[in-house]
Amino acid sequence: MIEDHERIEELLAGYVLRSLSGEDAVEADELLSDHVPVCGRCRDTLTDFQSLSADLALDTPPVAPPETLLPRLHRELEPVPHRRRTGQLVAVAASVALVAGLAGISLTQFVRAGDRQARADDMAAALDLARQPQADLVPVGPATEISAPGADEFFLYGTGVQAPPAGSVYRVWLVSDTGAPPTYAGELPYEDGVVFLKVTFDPASFTELDVTVEPSGSAPSAPGTVVWTAAA
Amino acid sequence: MGVREGDREDLELHRRLTTGDRGAFDELYRRYASAAYGLAYRLTGQQILAQDVVHDAYMALWRAPEAYDPARGAFRTFFLSLVHHRAVDTVRREERLRKRQERAANLERVAGEDVAEGVVNEAWVAIRRREVREALTTLPPEQRQVLEMAYFDGKTQVVIAEELQIPIGTVKTRTLAAMRKLRRALDQEDDV
Repeated sequence: MIEDHERIEELLAGYVLRSLSGEDAVEADELLSDHVPVCGRCRDTLTDFQSLSADLALDTPPVAPPETLLPRLHRELEPVPHRRRTGQLVAVAASVALVAGLAGISLTQFVRAGDRQARADDMAAALDLARQPQADLVPVGPATEISAPGADEFFLYGTGVQAPPAGSVYRVWLVSDTGAPPTYAGELPYEDGVVFLKVTFDPASFTELDVTVEPSGSAPSAPGTVVWTAAA
Repeated sequence: MGVREGDREDLELHRRLTTGDRGAFDELYRRYASAAYGLAYRLTGQQILAQDVVHDAYMALWRAPEAYDPARGAFRTFFLSLVHHRAVDTVRREERLRKRQERAANLERVAGEDVAEGVVNEAWVAIRRREVREALTTLPPEQRQVLEMAYFDGKTQVVIAEELQIPIGTVKTRTLAAMRKLRRALDQEDDV
């Protein structure tokens, strides 16, 4: 854990400008999850820097967007179910449930994580995707995989999920039918019965998704015990 | 109209937005679409990409208005940050835009200052814009340079260090110094 506030503020400045990469970005993510939420000075600094970042946008002369943009938006503001085909009512109902659940995440897990903007972006993307007529909603144990045909990312979301055993975490693995070793996709964050993770992947090589239980802090060198699985 | 009054009006519009009020959506579009599009265009250098960035930001706002937490600052901060992040992501996804971005910078100078025809320029936004520009002029050139390369060019600190041929530690130091100096300058404006 970094305790040098000069260094922390350097990272926060780079973070709000979206100019970090590599180890700095990882370090900033850790700070935003672990240190900033419990440090008043850093919370204030982050808030100030975020406000400054938005103010910088005003240095750019305003430009009227194309006249077609607002009508394009209006077309898409129509109530979602009216645009759906009747054969997709089941998917619509599932989407609505997902939307309600995701809104709950925004008020709890996202705030505590500190990295509100990035997670809010992910949540908005999940909502966008879940509401698309072509969205695939695939059960993965008690969770749901939200994806779209041909997309290179999906979201794994669930509520009412049982906590992993003490000292363990949920992890996500992508499995190929080519015999290649499974690919580690990341830890599936769990909090108060909710799991949510965005995964970027190569659709051409992904045939199965496994969620495993593994010791917390262990190296994700190979899949542990598979607890939920779904075919692509 | 002062900045704080404008922020309060935004809060009410956001509250209405959470109830699915399309009138509130239109008013937030009228208030921020020009600033958002100007920013997205400056970053992406392409009208169609800028339009997509602004479109996606407004749709995200419509679909998940609860992503904005009023306790965490002004709506303007949230929304313009959302636009900036999406624009930076777009630029990085399409590295080929780099050359076009340079062309856009030239186009911007040709287009001239401030207000294009048809742009709604809220009085309180105009006041804040003037304050921000004045604050930026107080920065030493080397600090302003790294700030603009990060924010308006969407470059990482590593890339900035390579292009300026300076240590990345210097980029970080200059960035933080610039942010602190801007904060002090704008805090003074707020106190006036």
